[in-house]
Amino acid sequence: MSDHRDVTLVLRRLVRASPARVFEAWTRPDELARWWGPSGVECVGAEVDLRVGGGYRLGNKLPDGQVLWIVGTFELIEAPHKLVYSWRLEPGPDTRERVTVQFEPRAEGTEVVVVHERIASAPLRDQHEQGWHGCLDGLARLLGE
Amino acid sequence: MRSTQKRSREARLDAVFGALSDGTRRRILARLARGSARVSDLAEPFAISLPAVCKHLDVLEHAGLLRRERDGRVSRCHLDARPLESAEAFIERYRVFWSGTLEALALYVEKAQELADQNLPSR
Repeated sequence: MSDHRDVTLVLRRLVRASPARVFEAWTRPDELARWWGPSGVECVGAEVDLRVGGGYRLGNKLPDGQVLWIVGTFELIEAPHKLVYSWRLEPGPDTRERVTVQFEPRAEGTEVVVVHERIASAPLRDQHEQGWHGCLDGLARLLGE
Repeated sequence: MRSTQKRSREARLDAVFGALSDGTRRRILARLARGSARVSDLAEPFAISLPAVCKHLDVLEHAGLLRRERDGRVSRCHLDARPLESAEAFIERYRVFWSGTLEALALYVEKAQELADQNLPSR
């Protein structure tokens, strides 16, 4: 039962730069390390193996000092327009979440569209892995829930 | 103590997400959002048997999204939307994370662009 979820989140943001430039910022580790994460979260590590089947790891240091890693594998790469990759939190359960990022050309620059699919709640089988909730709770506190 | 609370919250979220993952159950919820209904009324729009509808109702009830009430020999179903709020709160965390991340991207890329434009005014 815990595998049958299909909750999708869509976010859009206009960036005043070309798709090629935004794609580069999204995929180059040295650049990711300088901007990734919301205000209050520090990117403490970025590794990107930009090829289909290649992996990525992003370290997110939360205000309480806890580090939450976002990891996954690239499923589709169409530079500089589209990226599809799996998404998992570490420590956390083995979920099937997937992120699609599109870089759509606009007169003013690029509209970045993020589609985050198959968002799952923490399955019961991972009772011992409290990191997941700790991380999400840390984020929630940080973001003023 | 605290982890027991967390686990029961996880179990509730699991049940809610599971309940929402099925199109028939979402349509039943949409119908109940317009008002309470008898089981037979709920079954009517669907080309499935009454026992199959009852199974869906059991799933919704287990998730806390549906309450059944005896009205003589007939049982009426009511929507209880409160568990949806917790599921939404879960999604909301990701929403806030992503909007903050996209904001940071825009700030970073546009600032870098500005500096490049200043350094190369003739380009």
